[in-house]
Amino acid sequence: MTTHTTASTPEARELVLTMDGQEVSFSVGETLYQVSQRLRTEVPTLCYDDRLDPFGGCRLCVVEVEGQRNPVASCTTQALPGMVVHTRSERVERHRKTLLELVVSENPEARIDPLRGHASQELHHLRERYGVTGERMQGRKSGHSRPDDDNPFIARDYDQCISCYRCVRVCAEREGDYAISVKGRGFATQITVEFDGHLRDSACTFCGQCVQTCPTGALADRKALRAEARPEPIVATRSICPYCGVGCSVDLLSKGDRLVGIRPAMDGPANLGALCVKGQFAFDWVQSEDRLTTPLVRGKDGQLHPATWDEALDRAAAGFAKARDEHGQHGTYAIASGRAPHESAYAIQKFIRVSYGSNYIDNCSRA
Amino acid sequence: MKHSNDELIARWRGEPAPLLPLLHALHDRDGYLSDDALRAVAKGLRLPIADLFGTVTFYHHFSRQPPGKAAPRVCDGPVCKHRGTQALLQGLPGATVMPCAGRCDGPVPVLQGDLVRVGSTPDGLAEEPSPLPPPYPGDRGECVFAEIRTHDRATLAGYRSTGGYRALTAARDTMTPNEIIDVITASGLAGRGGAGFPTGRKWKAVAQAPGGPKTIVCNADEGEPGCFKDRALMDHDPHALVEGMAIAALATGATRGFIYLRYEYPQTLVILEDAIAEAQRVGLLDGFDLYVRRGAGAYVCGEETSLLNSLEGKHPFPRNRPPYPVTHGFEDRPTVVNNVETLCAVAPILRHGAAWYRDLGLGDHAGTKVISLSGDVQRPGNYEVPIGLPLRTLLHEWAGGPAPGRTIQAVTMAGLSGGLLGPDALQGTPAVTLDEPCLRARGAFLGAGGIMVFDDTRHMVELAHEAMEFFAHESCGKCFPCRIGTQRLTERLSGGGPVTLDAWTAEVTDIGDAMKATSACGLGTAAPLITDSLLRYFPDQVARHLAGRKA
Repeated sequence: MTTHTTASTPEARELVLTMDGQEVSFSVGETLYQVSQRLRTEVPTLCYDDRLDPFGGCRLCVVEVEGQRNPVASCTTQALPGMVVHTRSERVERHRKTLLELVVSENPEARIDPLRGHASQELHHLRERYGVTGERMQGRKSGHSRPDDDNPFIARDYDQCISCYRCVRVCAEREGDYAISVKGRGFATQITVEFDGHLRDSACTFCGQCVQTCPTGALADRKALRAEARPEPIVATRSICPYCGVGCSVDLLSKGDRLVGIRPAMDGPANLGALCVKGQFAFDWVQSEDRLTTPLVRGKDGQLHPATWDEALDRAAAGFAKARDEHGQHGTYAIASGRAPHESAYAIQKFIRVSYGSNYIDNCSRA
Repeated sequence: MKHSNDELIARWRGEPAPLLPLLHALHDRDGYLSDDALRAVAKGLRLPIADLFGTVTFYHHFSRQPPGKAAPRVCDGPVCKHRGTQALLQGLPGATVMPCAGRCDGPVPVLQGDLVRVGSTPDGLAEEPSPLPPPYPGDRGECVFAEIRTHDRATLAGYRSTGGYRALTAARDTMTPNEIIDVITASGLAGRGGAGFPTGRKWKAVAQAPGGPKTIVCNADEGEPGCFKDRALMDHDPHALVEGMAIAALATGATRGFIYLRYEYPQTLVILEDAIAEAQRVGLLDGFDLYVRRGAGAYVCGEETSLLNSLEGKHPFPRNRPPYPVTHGFEDRPTVVNNVETLCAVAPILRHGAAWYRDLGLGDHAGTKVISLSGDVQRPGNYEVPIGLPLRTLLHEWAGGPAPGRTIQAVTMAGLSGGLLGPDALQGTPAVTLDEPCLRARGAFLGAGGIMVFDDTRHMVELAHEAMEFFAHESCGKCFPCRIGTQRLTERLSGGGPVTLDAWTAEVTDIGDAMKATSACGLGTAAPLITDSLLRYFPDQVARHLAGRKA
């Protein structure tokens, strides 16, 4: 059965291989892993992130290609016409299980809360799928956590690190920050930053990309973890980050009626999983104790006093009208806050345009 | 007067492959690499500081604090370990160990600054040139060693006195690139660093590859424990390497070349630079810019794609292949990467002809291979054997066998990478011969040609442990099977792992199988040959090791 019939030119028609007994067409440059994903074959991997260049580190995605002595890493192997590929042979499944036993053995047992990050359950899921108990392959643990790095955003629990380098690569390839790197080699490999320092002394911009791509939760969202003990389920609500004009898609994570965290949407058309520090971590104001709950008007004593909505609106309308009368329609310029809800932003531009007949309206996030 | 950071950066910034020499210049100046120096380099070469910091920590010999380079480093390779490493470590203040430094055919080497001294006690250390190959004991004839013992061979005049550079001149004046490649192809010369890829085919691929400039890289990062052949070739016959590289450049259209030399050979660095300068002075290298770049202590840089990354100043992880270096090598341009021994064979082959070289081998095998023989034999040293020579002939007739009253219990192959051959293989019939088909059939391989000999006084589990510890120390950390597997195997060879023999063997075998099948480069696929061969040839010693542990 040919699953893809888009191939129409003579050259393209020849781009066909066989995967798990199924004939499949592919395009030039596609890797075996990408082909397997189109077929929904669940080839396991821990170092792969489809936004990054294939790395070939975890070796879990190895598949057998007939005619080749050893299995090949499907993430780094280009599809070629006529290849006969087996993604689930007894041999590769056995090696995958050994590799998972090895990688599980290097970390201490710990429950990894999903609040840690988008990909934080990947190792856990593979462990379940392959029935890895952690009894075999025991030995020394790798990686040293950095509890001393007391930045408010990113926990660096390298005890749980498996050296897949997704954090290093996302920082370089997607963010262009090159803040994260690799120290030492072999089993002593340690993810680090310049001179082994703290994130805030490095080139890190706290965009949180490393947190979201980490497959073990070794890098974790410290702000979200504040809600770890809350019993309610995590609910994700798709929204758009209000901070600037890019329009990054986000999933707002809530527990009960509390906003507990923000996660970039990997399928967000504007951001493909990227965020900046504001979109990722700056949401505490939503539930801040300092937020106003009633209107305030300034009294003759110069202080602000609680007031009813009618009082407050009358006072504001009088002020706007006075400004228009004394300075004309262009005497007032409105700037909407990036922290305002979209509905408020819409209302203020409508207000300026209709009541002043002016286009003197902007948004602080338009940069 | 000491040069400033800026002066050194200005000196190197415009040169090809500038990072390693610039780091060495700073390392030489201060004795270590300070934060300030690294920040200046990052700025000067426009490298991310985090990357530069991480990459510097990858190399064993770059120090990050004083006394750094000035502190002695003592070889603790498998052979030296039995000849005085401990005494030297205890007797030399501040001394630390370094992996095999390629002097297995003499006393223990101690590297301090840019000086290598050898000896077995702190008081007995002396600077000595690396030993020449022993007088040729065979009758078939040598290729790369044929002239190496002649007087003044390392000088231009000495080299020329027996026909040196005539092959290059003849190739330049009378041969087309295709004709050169045809001779090399017909000779059967194959990669003598261990991979055995046909040299002519590699050169042809580079000659035909689009794009440029093309590059010849000589892999002189002889890091395999028990291998010291390239050192002998470069120290005593440097012009043979230079000539071979210049001929490779003619054949492929390359305009630049690098010799990537391991850190542990500082004297060799001087010898090579002198030879290159001599050859340049008389115009022999016109049109071919040849540079020496010094490594900084990383076994994996002997893997050609790690070497290229190292040369380019990147983190020395192996690259994913394809594409191969013949099309995407140094700076992603077509590149030949050849071992020292391979390149040293080129000029003799052009002078004497393809048939001559082919006939140096025995039976169907073409040519010769230098074997670095060390350990418990009476006459250790580099021997250029005809490919196909029985191992027994080399051990007993050429090298004099073990000490009187002793028997040979095991030999390693390919340094450590090829695992062990035990009594069954050494004494059985048909006899083991030194060629890949025979050795591969026995689960070993010839590789770079290091053979370490261990007599009946040695504990094989202990040796296997030392070997695996080396691989774990040198694993780059890129791929899971090697990074974790070498560590787990090391632990299991030194008292860790399951208690029962069955469970222990099952884990060791499963780890080894996964490493062999899935590792990203040769380090990870070769390391488990040690445990495989230990279980195959020495099951009793393994059982005793486990039983002793329980007690």
